[in-house]
Amino acid sequence: MLAGRAPPGAAGCGRLLAAALRPLLCGLSPCWAAGRQCRGLRVAEAAAAAAEEKAQVVKRRKRSGVPVRRYIACPRLARTVQQCLQRGAGPQPLLLEFAPGPGILTQTLLNAGIRVVALESDLAYLPNLQSLENSLDGKLKVIYGDFCRLDPLVSGTLKPPAVCSDKLFETIGVAAVPWRADVPLRIFGIMPQTLERNRLWRLLFGLYECNSIYKYGRVELNLFISEREYMVLKAKPGEMWAYQPLTVLAQIGCEIELLHMEPWSSFTTNLLSGSLAVPKSKWLPNDHLCLVRLTPQKNLFTGGLQPTNATTFIFMVKQCLAKPTSRLSDRLNSWSLDNGGELLKALEIPENAVMRDLYPEDYRRLFETLQNSSMFTETWFYDEVSESVRTINF
Amino acid sequence: MALLRLRAALRGPGGLRGPGVPWSVLRSYSSASTKEKANRDSTCERTELLKVLKARAKQLQSSNAPEVTVNKGELSPLGNEKHQNPLQQAMAPGPTQEQPVPRAGGCPARPHSWVETLHKETCVQQLKLERKLSMAASQLDLGSQAKAEAKAEAKPKAKAEAKPKVKAEAKPKAKAEAKPKAKAEAKPKVKAEAKPKAKLKAKAEAKGEAKGKPKAKPTKSLKTSKAPKVKAATAWSQSSTIPHSLYTHSKPRVVAVKEGMKLESPQRVLKDKESSQDKVLQETILSSLECFLFLQQPEQAERILTLYHRSPVKQKLLDVSAYNIVMRCWARKGCLQHIDQLFSMLESVGLRPSLDSYAAALQCMGRNQSPSEAIQRYLEQLKSDGFHVEELFEKCLFEEDEKEKVLSAIRTVLPNYQLPPPPKPQTCKSSLLQDFYSKEKVVSYPKLDFSVEELQERFQQQLQMELNNTITIESVEAAKPPTPQAVKARELLGTLRSQWHDAILQALQKSKQSMAKARTLSNYNNLYPYMCLLPDEEYAGIMLQVLNTLSPQGESLAVLARELSSKVYSRYITHRKLRSRQLEKLKGVYEDYIHLLAKDSQPDQYLPREYWEKLVAEAGVGSSLNLKDCSWPYVVFMRLGMHMLELLVKAVTVPRNLLNPRLESKSIPVLYHIYSYQNTWQVGLIKPHPIFSQIVTDAAETMLTFHSSAMPMLCPPVPWTSPHFGAFVVNDTKLMRFVDGDIQHQLLLDQCPPVNLHPVLDALNQLGNCAWKINQPVLDIIISIFNDKGNEQLDIPPPLSEAPRPPSAPGHSSTWSKALKRELLLCKKKAAEMHSLRMDALYKLSIANYVRDKVFWFPHNMDFRGRTYPCPPYFNHLGNDVTRAILLFAEGRPLGPRGLNWLKIHLINLTGLKKKNALQERLEYANEIMEEILDSADHPLTGRKWWMNTDEPWQALACCMEIAKASRSPDPAAYISHFPVHQDGSCNGLQHYAALGRDLIGAISVNLMPCSVPQDVYSAVAQQVEEFRKKDAERGVKIAQVLQGFISRKVVKQTVMTVVYGVTRYGGRLQIEKRLKEIDEFPEEYLWEASHYLVRQVFNSIKEMFSATRDIQTWLTESAKLISQSGRTVEWVTPLGLPIVQPYYRLKSTVLNCGMQNLSVRTPNSSQKPDTVKQKNAFPPNFIHSLDSTHMMLTALHCLRQGLTFVSVHDCYWTHALTVDIMNQICRQQFVALHSEKILQDLSEFMLEKYCSPNTETIATWQKKLMEQLSNVPRTGEFNLKQVMDSTYFFS
Repeated sequence: MLAGRAPPGAAGCGRLLAAALRPLLCGLSPCWAAGRQCRGLRVAEAAAAAAEEKAQVVKRRKRSGVPVRRYIACPRLARTVQQCLQRGAGPQPLLLEFAPGPGILTQTLLNAGIRVVALESDLAYLPNLQSLENSLDGKLKVIYGDFCRLDPLVSGTLKPPAVCSDKLFETIGVAAVPWRADVPLRIFGIMPQTLERNRLWRLLFGLYECNSIYKYGRVELNLFISEREYMVLKAKPGEMWAYQPLTVLAQIGCEIELLHMEPWSSFTTNLLSGSLAVPKSKWLPNDHLCLVRLTPQKNLFTGGLQPTNATTFIFMVKQCLAKPTSRLSDRLNSWSLDNGGELLKALEIPENAVMRDLYPEDYRRLFETLQNSSMFTETWFYDEVSESVRTINF
Repeated sequence: MALLRLRAALRGPGGLRGPGVPWSVLRSYSSASTKEKANRDSTCERTELLKVLKARAKQLQSSNAPEVTVNKGELSPLGNEKHQNPLQQAMAPGPTQEQPVPRAGGCPARPHSWVETLHKETCVQQLKLERKLSMAASQLDLGSQAKAEAKAEAKPKAKAEAKPKVKAEAKPKAKAEAKPKAKAEAKPKVKAEAKPKAKLKAKAEAKGEAKGKPKAKPTKSLKTSKAPKVKAATAWSQSSTIPHSLYTHSKPRVVAVKEGMKLESPQRVLKDKESSQDKVLQETILSSLECFLFLQQPEQAERILTLYHRSPVKQKLLDVSAYNIVMRCWARKGCLQHIDQLFSMLESVGLRPSLDSYAAALQCMGRNQSPSEAIQRYLEQLKSDGFHVEELFEKCLFEEDEKEKVLSAIRTVLPNYQLPPPPKPQTCKSSLLQDFYSKEKVVSYPKLDFSVEELQERFQQQLQMELNNTITIESVEAAKPPTPQAVKARELLGTLRSQWHDAILQALQKSKQSMAKARTLSNYNNLYPYMCLLPDEEYAGIMLQVLNTLSPQGESLAVLARELSSKVYSRYITHRKLRSRQLEKLKGVYEDYIHLLAKDSQPDQYLPREYWEKLVAEAGVGSSLNLKDCSWPYVVFMRLGMHMLELLVKAVTVPRNLLNPRLESKSIPVLYHIYSYQNTWQVGLIKPHPIFSQIVTDAAETMLTFHSSAMPMLCPPVPWTSPHFGAFVVNDTKLMRFVDGDIQHQLLLDQCPPVNLHPVLDALNQLGNCAWKINQPVLDIIISIFNDKGNEQLDIPPPLSEAPRPPSAPGHSSTWSKALKRELLLCKKKAAEMHSLRMDALYKLSIANYVRDKVFWFPHNMDFRGRTYPCPPYFNHLGNDVTRAILLFAEGRPLGPRGLNWLKIHLINLTGLKKKNALQERLEYANEIMEEILDSADHPLTGRKWWMNTDEPWQALACCMEIAKASRSPDPAAYISHFPVHQDGSCNGLQHYAALGRDLIGAISVNLMPCSVPQDVYSAVAQQVEEFRKKDAERGVKIAQVLQGFISRKVVKQTVMTVVYGVTRYGGRLQIEKRLKEIDEFPEEYLWEASHYLVRQVFNSIKEMFSATRDIQTWLTESAKLISQSGRTVEWVTPLGLPIVQPYYRLKSTVLNCGMQNLSVRTPNSSQKPDTVKQKNAFPPNFIHSLDSTHMMLTALHCLRQGLTFVSVHDCYWTHALTVDIMNQICRQQFVALHSEKILQDLSEFMLEKYCSPNTETIATWQKKLMEQLSNVPRTGEFNLKQVMDSTYFFS
């Protein structure tokens, strides 16, 4: 399909129009000529040929009825990502790339001198990656596994490609470091859009409970997530739909940094139809995937918040923001907290404050105060937490 | 908030740890701002862009041509209506014509601004074109679509006439720039509709659709009301589903209209969809007006009506029935003046008075004895509207003395007027029931062992119970004396309750006062009338009841709200029935009716339904026994419930230091509101505070309160005579059970000719007329165990005191280890499970205990497939082993020569021991172990307890006791037995499939063929699978070799059983995997592969054995899929004439904004598209269920003719031991008769007519495909159905 078929008139027309308008739409110069447009605007580069070859692998893997996966198939985008990843001072720890697919980015990263571990769940891509691994003696390590099925909650024997983080870290030779130490590992990948929200939630739970990958310290995530999720992560108090429990927890839990934005069309999918499979979104905009860096906060576990009581905190935030337009004082009252008024006064939160307008930091202070006032242990609240944690922590 | 912001700003970066996003990026991704920018800069680029757009437009136009014509199709039905209805036009000549509506200023400029707007719109749209070209057409179309809607709204009076024109013009105008002529033509109309259109447009703007047209926007447009918003929204969704386009200008308009006439049905779906929101509102208005009618507040009703009537937008929500209700209100008061006024209001909006309007007018005139001229005038108008006076009495439903008043009014004019004679009873003509209904062979209806007087007394008891609405009975736990602690807690609870009662009452009154203040439509609270229906005390009582039954684990808000409001509703219905004097009439008829059943009265050769109808006709009460439909829409139920719940949560408090006096006193709420998370769903819960739960536990109260419909009836149920009438005396019962919001079943039943429902109604009456009593010795044993420690093995749930104790944990909860937390959680979960099981058993046993000395009845109704169920929910014969064991037929019959043997065989069947043996062998086995049986009967708890180790221990024990008594009586054949003996179908679903397909091998394996020993289909399948496996293993298939020795009956049983009910390979594999996992020796690594392989082989085997079965299943599935894809639901009619529709629609969730929490109510909405997956997957099982229910009903009816007692639990039939042989014979006869009908052919014909009738000249491809599929009925095998007659194990 790659440029093999002349684009139909209609689509071509649209694309030209798109070409004309793109710079207008997007401040950055995106690598929009990806996928099947590669041939049309080929950049005279040796890498392009290799990329083309690798894209052929993607093509062969194209199937219908499988979960949508996105790949970086365009060398320019790969370079942009590589530059983004290298941005920021300090030592460059090991990088784990999950679901690299054809390995175009992997190659680019290796070329830039980064040590890479590739975690691939699709057996079809493995031979290619493994031959790359063999040719590079030690700079690349390829592991069969699925990042989205890391530490599954169901008990029982672990069947690949599900992986256990203990094993993974052992294989790649990264040891656990204290929380306040430097980042022990960096992870890069494109988040699948199915259940994207749930996956983010799981990562956050792991972060707050120091579970899974976070057992090994402040693992830094560099993820391509949909624009919609990014809007949620970075939302400010008061924003209508975007300010959600996820927002509060993510902003308290990590440093959120937007590294790059890339239109959907720059990525190749594994779909037979070649469609971009852009998920529908009620709220605009929904034009890009965002490369976001999530670095856990060094001082997350100072003060009252501990991995042991973090679930209570998460529960509290979720309860509070379940109805963002309700008043904090009403909520406290409905929890049978008899001294809600005093509490708010102590926290310098006005009586009529609405949930949506509280800053993430306010939630944290509220929690710490409640923790000290033994509210969680004396009332029914704690039971609720333990009951619901199991159901939230999917 | 501002303060917060400031503080945060002062605190610096700690406040918002937002990511450092460069401004340029932020700006670039916001497409909204991009669009604005593009809009501003567009002048230079516009020309260029327009070129592109035009080129695209042409392309789109050619590719979208078919959709365009579909769109136009809407015009035709309306146009037709116009011609069919000359009367209507004549009725309201003035207002229906074009009438200039006052409009906001700036009109001369309007057409121009429209052009400009459109122009700008197109520019904006172009930006979107770049990515989604195909979408562009539909989006642009929004403008024109919305405009068209606006017009229609502006002239609801002229709807029928005006719409075709308006619609046709909407398009030319939309592309006015291209066709200046069309613009000029459109001009006058645009003026007329200026106002509402502007509003709509404003909405569209808000959605970011049409930008930058301040000129066109009148100031008033800001005040948009709800209705147009809805419209705009639906228009939006429409345009995206069916991309009609505004590029139709190349086609002459007239041609388009003509073309459109041909296609109608797809458009109807659209219409329905758009009006769904309106429908809800409409229903709400009607039911509120009904409330005022009930409250006898015509002023209030008229106030609401006028509010809507005056609002130009909301006016269209009113139909004749709304006006009629208000008319009836006034008629009751005898105010003719108001009725005249309402008639002219009707006229002014172009509505035509209906029969009910005239009934109300006449009633009013009868009441205030108007002069004959006035009456004459109305009667003439009635005739000129095409009605007849007789129709008034045939079609209208009257309450109270309405009928008499109407009659007296008519007699003022026509002194000799006589009521029309009641319609002649019709007889069902179904060939299956010719014998049953033929009058020659009529046998008298079986008598009960009661005199008329006794039955009347029982009726009075039942009536009293239902009028009380609830009944409080002692639970079986009451036998234990209360502890001093309990006494104290009960006292405390008593005082608290009286405090709460007062608090609730106060809150209630306060909220009602604030509601009553509203004077305008916008702030009018729709709930107000619903809060006035009952005395305040009753509302408070209902709310307190909820508090009493709340489990410590809490309950979801929606469930509680629903419970509260349905209690209010049922109370309201009771009051209404009392008020309308319906009850008096019913009482009179019922007292005569019991003569049919009582032993000391003349035998009558009627069926209960026929007799009831005869009595009703004789008494001349006719339709007044039925109440006018007064159901509330789902939204009202939820809102009312939520309102009451909110009051409850706010009003009920308890001192915090109640249990711990050291704490300072402060009142805290008893109920708290919390969210729980189920996957990604967020569910609001109401939980009681632990303090409250503790008191309740301590008090251990022993009184239980039930709704009267939860109790079995104390007199024979009222026979079903129509879908609206039957079962309980006062309580509302539905003939067909369905989920809230599913109205299509009711509609279908109403449309169905009554005579077609007679067989079904008669079968339900027959099942409901079976009298029951309690097996007291067994009940006593069960209660003794229940009150002791329970017994999980015997299915008697132990009390909570037996729950596993959580490990005592030291220290602060946050320090507990994960394992400890987990264990605590498991304990809690177990306790919660135990609690609900215990409560369920408590309810059942307590009800059984309450009726232990009585004879009682279970009225029956059915689900949408015709499967029958007893109405009382807790205690009935459909229950588990325990409940079945304590039920006996009230009527006793001698055992007869074979009765004792049947009892013994039944016992062995209950043990599940000799499944593969012939009946004779089972009997012999029973005789062999007679000693064990007698021991179990004599010393159930102290003896050898043989009965405890059987499949159904309690029924086995009851059977042991019966056998013991019978065998010890001097003449067992004369022993009077009340014991029900069961006969089970063996894999009933497959039996029906095998018979449908005349599958020879299949028929043998499910016992349709006579055999000496019962066949076991599961073993047969397992054998077949094993054969396949052997072949594969020989061929060297690895997994087949691995599976050697693992294939057994057990592995395949569940899958075979569920194949009938449409299990997929996926589900089948999971089932088999589970079974294989249970085999310890099976290598785990092969689980997936093996189960995958096995499920394939099971399906193959079934295909081989039941060759026609799979064909039929596939045929049904495929047909359902195509029907559903064509946008309709699957409907069929059972051989007994019951119409069935599958109620599966795509769910649409509506968010109800209630004070405490927003409720997202996901209701299946019949205006939604059908859910194809559900429709197709559920069709085969539903169809088979409709057949098995038909078989059961046929058997029930024919058993009635033979004087048998008969009840059923789906495919398990019960009768006395004496009559088992006769029942078996009837059961087989009816099975043969049923399947001798051309069931599949009939289904095919019915569906062809329903879904493919050529009402249009052109037949779409989907229709062709569907026709082909439906006519291609699967072929059948060569099994001779008659052989079922001789098959012993068909039902055994």
